[in-house]
Amino acid sequence: MIPLITAIPLLFAFTIVMLDTLRVKGAPIKAAFLLGAVLPAGVPLLRNGTEVVGGWSREAGIEVGIGEVNGPFIAGELILFTAVAIYSLSYFDFRDRKTAKALALFLLIHAGLLGAFISLDFFNFYIYMEIASVGAFALVAFSEEPGSRRAAFKYLIPSLLASYMFIFAVGLIYMETGYLNVDIVAEAAIPSRELSAALGIAFASLLLKAGIFPLHGWLPDAHSVAPTPASALLSGAVVKAPAYGMILLFSALPLGEAIKTVGMAIAAASIFFGIAMALLQRDAKRLLAYHTVSQMGYVLLGIASMNFTEAAYYAMAHSIFKGGLFLGIGSLGRKSRKLGEFGYRGAPVMAFSVLALSLAIGGVSPFIGAYAKGLISSGLSGNWSLVVPLGTVGTLVSFTKLNHYLLKGSPGKLRTAWKLSTSALAVAALGLGIYLGAKVKPADFIYLAVSAAIFLALRELGLFDREIKAKPAEVGREINVLTAVFVSVMLALLLLQRP
Amino acid sequence: MKMSTVVRSTTKMVSPFLVTYAAYLMLYGHLSPGGGFQGGVILAVAVILLITSHGYQKVRKRFHFNWASLMESSAGAMLVILGLVGLAFGAFYSNFLPIEGGVILPFNVIVGLEVGAAFTFVFYILLRWVESD
Repeated sequence: MIPLITAIPLLFAFTIVMLDTLRVKGAPIKAAFLLGAVLPAGVPLLRNGTEVVGGWSREAGIEVGIGEVNGPFIAGELILFTAVAIYSLSYFDFRDRKTAKALALFLLIHAGLLGAFISLDFFNFYIYMEIASVGAFALVAFSEEPGSRRAAFKYLIPSLLASYMFIFAVGLIYMETGYLNVDIVAEAAIPSRELSAALGIAFASLLLKAGIFPLHGWLPDAHSVAPTPASALLSGAVVKAPAYGMILLFSALPLGEAIKTVGMAIAAASIFFGIAMALLQRDAKRLLAYHTVSQMGYVLLGIASMNFTEAAYYAMAHSIFKGGLFLGIGSLGRKSRKLGEFGYRGAPVMAFSVLALSLAIGGVSPFIGAYAKGLISSGLSGNWSLVVPLGTVGTLVSFTKLNHYLLKGSPGKLRTAWKLSTSALAVAALGLGIYLGAKVKPADFIYLAVSAAIFLALRELGLFDREIKAKPAEVGREINVLTAVFVSVMLALLLLQRP
Repeated sequence: MKMSTVVRSTTKMVSPFLVTYAAYLMLYGHLSPGGGFQGGVILAVAVILLITSHGYQKVRKRFHFNWASLMESSAGAMLVILGLVGLAFGAFYSNFLPIEGGVILPFNVIVGLEVGAAFTFVFYILLRWVESD
């Protein structure tokens, strides 16, 4: 029963390609797309627990399940994809021959992500993560914007390299333990050099695929030039699949203290680096992309402190608010994405949604961000617990800047479906926060006041007039740099684990 | 670009045997080395050989681009449906057929069609850039 969650979107993806080849246009393709997007949500409602595909034994088969750890990932993906599906039906032009192919790619990403999230098996996880990635590369290249092919290539090559290193590490795990099933590997694994090597290699590759500093180089380009619904899906859900992989990895293999500390350090660095770069951006979608680097740091913080369920709730929260922000900002800034040239003046629904989602990403209660941040910080001890409040203030400063510029301009023509999907995600962020039990806290007003003061001080200093505009180097050279950083991170992770 | 008469007649003679061999690999994949993927690749090779020796323009008249696309997507859908039928017998992809190898035989044949069509399809798309043949 559980495999149906990925079989349904796959079936409808093939159906769309078939209908497209037979030159069927319009309504049947839209219907197939919506069915493929929405029907999988029925599966978690009907059944959870674990099962083995085809009824084989656990050792021989592929185990899948919906449980405590991956439930939030699945819920976040399903909520986000429904909004993205409604948005993209009115975003794409259905007279264009290419539209049906884009919709099939969306469903392929949907199937890949859900398949990765339900799997409790390393190889199955890898396959489905790759299906989602291949859809993502193609959708980035699909954009009409200048530089989209370049961004897609810069995303494709490092990501494929990371995938090959990951499958090599899975091979090492199989060689050492004889199993691929996560639970059985956890029982069979005895600490050894081979398993430490596998852990280091796989962890470094998943860091690259999740876009965490210092391996984030491909992310801002790819996420900012993709078509708006694709950006929302890439930022909200595709980077979560590697995060789930890290959870599988950390729960199966013997870990040393060193790798946990390094993970926490990388997470903290990622949080503050993302905020610093976001403060220096004038391109609205690029600003949001750097916030993805920052927010993935929180997810890694939860994973490295071994609080897997907490990290999963943060991932769900991030799917909802970051997806909503991308949909909102993307539809406001159709003509220009430069801050100050567009905004939400005269569009109250959009204004409230973007404001609510900004508060949610800043971790202000009673939005879901506050609940998830509370979970993450409750698992931290010592100086590490300072990271979350400092990151909260930084994020709030950056989003004060965004809203400050958005107040000035007015949007172009907004379609009803765009308003609907953005505000639905805003309502979901609020509703889930209240449902899960986030209460209004007085401390949040202090955070808001501090961040407003910092914002004013920075504006007086003239920070927001500056902009980091990286001169686009030759794409091959950029890929070389990314690869060099990737290899050095991998070597560092390997050497750190020496007994 | 057309190749010499020797190459053209040889490929014409070899191609039917390749298709037979591909069918053998798909149908006996559950008993002997082979299987759907390998069979499918050889199926695609039969078409690709004809294209390289006779030229794209001529082969395209027999093996339409849309046929490859249609075969690929319908084989993909059939694979999922095969799994869904298993649901009626207990589990997704349960081994319900009472023949030797169970569902592996139809599975191999469908995978062969899927892979063969997909490789031909990819080759056609790549050839669009060298269409001036």
